[in-house]
Amino acid sequence: MGPTYPSTEGAASARDARRALQRVGAFPAAPEPALELLRPDASEPPRLQRAEPLEGDAMAVRAVDGAPVVGIAAFLDGIQQSRVLAYWRGGIPVVHGTVAAAVRLRRDRTLVRWRADADRVDRALYAPRAALDDSVWTSLSTTCAVRDTLSPDERGPWHPQDLVARALHAVQRQREALETACAERWCAAGDGPLFVDGGIAAAGGAAHSPLAVGVVKSHRTLYVDGAALPLVLGLRAGERTTMFTVASPRRAAVASWYLRLRDPAAHDALWGLVRVEIARDDADGARADLVSRWILAERAPLALPDPRWGAMAYGIRLTEEYLRAVSR
Amino acid sequence: MSIGRVVATERKPNTPHEFHFWTALDAPVGIGTIVRVEGGATADGGALSVYGVVVEGFSYTDLQSPLHDVLGADGDPSNAVHAPTDRTEIRLYTAHALRHVPDEPLQPVPMGRVHLATDEDIAVALRMDGYLRDGQRTAIPIGVYRSGATQSPVYLDADFLLGPEAAHLNISGVSGLATKTSAVEWLLSSIFAHFPEQKGSVAAVCFNVKGPDLCFLDQPSDRLDDTDRALYAAAGVPAEPFRDVEYFAPWTARGHTLATLRSHPALAHNVRPLSWGLREVLQYAEVLLNKDDVDAKADALIDFIRERVVNQEFSDPILTRGHTVRSFADLAAWFSELLRGMEGRDMESWRTHHVATIRKVRNRLTNISTRCRGLVTDDGTSSDLPFGAFRDRAVYVVDVAASEEDAQDLIFARVVSQLREQLERRTLGVDHVIVFVDELNKYAPSDGPDTYVRQMLLDIAERGRYLGLVLFAAQQFRSQVHRRVVGNCGTALFGRMDMDELATPGYATLAPATRVKLSTLDKGQLMVRHPHFAQPVFVRFPRPAVLGGRDGVERFPAEPEPTLEAAVVRSLRTLDPTITLEWVKQAAVAAPEEDVLRARNRTLQVRPDDVKAYFRAQFRARVAPEAVPDRPTAMPLAGSEFSDPYGG
Repeated sequence: MGPTYPSTEGAASARDARRALQRVGAFPAAPEPALELLRPDASEPPRLQRAEPLEGDAMAVRAVDGAPVVGIAAFLDGIQQSRVLAYWRGGIPVVHGTVAAAVRLRRDRTLVRWRADADRVDRALYAPRAALDDSVWTSLSTTCAVRDTLSPDERGPWHPQDLVARALHAVQRQREALETACAERWCAAGDGPLFVDGGIAAAGGAAHSPLAVGVVKSHRTLYVDGAALPLVLGLRAGERTTMFTVASPRRAAVASWYLRLRDPAAHDALWGLVRVEIARDDADGARADLVSRWILAERAPLALPDPRWGAMAYGIRLTEEYLRAVSR
Repeated sequence: MSIGRVVATERKPNTPHEFHFWTALDAPVGIGTIVRVEGGATADGGALSVYGVVVEGFSYTDLQSPLHDVLGADGDPSNAVHAPTDRTEIRLYTAHALRHVPDEPLQPVPMGRVHLATDEDIAVALRMDGYLRDGQRTAIPIGVYRSGATQSPVYLDADFLLGPEAAHLNISGVSGLATKTSAVEWLLSSIFAHFPEQKGSVAAVCFNVKGPDLCFLDQPSDRLDDTDRALYAAAGVPAEPFRDVEYFAPWTARGHTLATLRSHPALAHNVRPLSWGLREVLQYAEVLLNKDDVDAKADALIDFIRERVVNQEFSDPILTRGHTVRSFADLAAWFSELLRGMEGRDMESWRTHHVATIRKVRNRLTNISTRCRGLVTDDGTSSDLPFGAFRDRAVYVVDVAASEEDAQDLIFARVVSQLREQLERRTLGVDHVIVFVDELNKYAPSDGPDTYVRQMLLDIAERGRYLGLVLFAAQQFRSQVHRRVVGNCGTALFGRMDMDELATPGYATLAPATRVKLSTLDKGQLMVRHPHFAQPVFVRFPRPAVLGGRDGVERFPAEPEPTLEAAVVRSLRTLDPTITLEWVKQAAVAAPEEDVLRARNRTLQVRPDDVKAYFRAQFRARVAPEAVPDRPTAMPLAGSEFSDPYGG
């Protein structure tokens, strides 16, 4: 992980980075929307993946036992934004990435800073080192963090769009790293359940903590087989599936289940649907119900005007807004 | 500790005169709060401070549509309280700059931290530091600025309130709630307590134009609470009634008693009659005669009478005897004989004055004593304010509440003219006089005929500050007062205002929130404009330490009009407490009512050492009717030839 600059210092702001690139003779890029808007989740095709049942022998539908109850103590989210700032000779893209993550503590129904190191903002340039002159790399490094988007042994030539995609992935990894650090910090010292925007399987130690509750809003991978798919799609508000295990070679195995927050009505069948992840160690039906009740309690207030409001908790929206403000 | 932070966006930028800041939801900031902005640096590296007063406030959330909140609560407002997280809400305020330190260069307000103003900040922000300095102090407390725990006295500059730099004060507000009279009573107390020694002496002449408002200025109030006392203490003004007050009121139409609600015997010691004879009134005949009455010809005749007839021996071949006209009765006699003489000689004009003009002037002048009965005496006796002997820190209340409109105009015109003349000659007895007039819109309306009284008010407003003649005026609707009168008032106070009035152009410079605050002000709150203040500020002031009019008439109920003898006793007892009803009946036995009243009035006017002797002496000049004894006649002699005049 490269150096992390406090947002207030702005040492690696896009403006500073652009000036540094001008100094070394890079060709400035025309202003364009963020890469995340131009290439949203293009890398992962939608798919179904069978998962091992953890509660019963096969996936079933349960009404969440009990009324929604406030249990979440804090919210964790991260954001990223990347832009091509300049092109080195031969059209090598140099990308500026800003990532940020924060844990926001809920106190008196208001989200506040948990502690000084609970907010992390990182700005850096992302470029293929092998494609740049050493002097240029060194010069840029004196102004801001510069991260290599290639493996040490890779050699060109490279498709320019592939280089952009690699930069985007590098930025994403950096965001996940910050989020993981924030999650681990909370699980080590926080008090109460942490609502994590996204899965916790890749969150290092947090994946094993009873404090971390991952809530996944996107469903490019649905952890069901063909027979159970109608059950998931047919969930009604306040219903959940039985638990199953989500495991992959590079991630921790976690307990997971689908939970319907709102009836889809005129929306598509995945609207208002979230997949919850908790540590597998203490997962049982009662805990799944309790965690579901916590999440259901977060349906109000609505996360509007965010377009993902059907599955988004307002606390996560506030955390995102906070991160946008401090990383700007 | 800062309570906010300055913000600016391209859509809502800051300027040198206006800036925006946000605060925590529970910050003690509201419309009228004075704040200090710290941040930014001057060209030479010094610290820059900007002071401002909050004029507008905004609150909003991240909702794009109210419908979203409805959806979130499933259409049931009671569900909204169960949300575990409150929507993000902002308190955004707009402030108008009061002062930049340093003053130059004048730049947009920087992004900085916002603090609640301290006592010292208030003094700097309102530029009061210039007149609060030791040795040059000319500060008059007008009230206390309150914000959170801060209670800072706000001062007016005496040089700009009572002259010579600027002067005059105008106070507006709806009746009953705006505390206009209370504010003036409080301010007079404050002036009397703080008017600087080096600026000389000051007195006040207050016209009581309605009810018992100003009738008990020398009586203590029993309504002061701890908050009021704290305000008095903060302002350094003693919470006590005025020590030196004199009341003046015309007589009632019958003349038995004074036409004032301050007629309780316990308060009679400082109530004096206000009555004028021909000499006093003729100087101000224009007040009572409208322009249709007084054309050039009539004006010439009035001038002739004023200069050649009144108070001097006047003879003319047309008159059968010499006349010394000292009273309306004398004037009536003079006119009668003059017209009789002209008729006898079949003259159409006399000394260039046409008979019709003479008749017209006679009618207009001689009925003044009827129109202003009680104020104007037929017999020429006069009882007046103590012009030439005004006392420092004294209040002279002229109660015209029960007088007819003509009499009110006459009183106002003559009193103010006398004040102006004597201040010009420096013979009044004090250096500054504050004249308080309520219902200014009646005396100096923005439209309507150009009256003598309005001209006089304009004159005071425009030139009075050089003389020390200061106008404190109040009215419900400022927009209905002549622009030059209110425009010349250096200081303006606003109590609770009517929304219709606030919609008039005169208030367009106020921010909408400030106007709304003005329309909802509590009693005891004022908005103050003063030449030193770049923006209006809101202050609180205590209840007056004097007895209110309504309380006063309950504690000291007005006496019904007494019999003639009882009225005389009541009046003369203010001079000699030993006078009794029996004594008066004896002294004035068989005298006609008008003679008794004349004797009383002369006694009150002269205020002799031996009241009884003087009063009795008034009847000696009169030839008392005596019973004619039976004349002794010679008895007819018996048996004489005269025993039977018809003889036998």
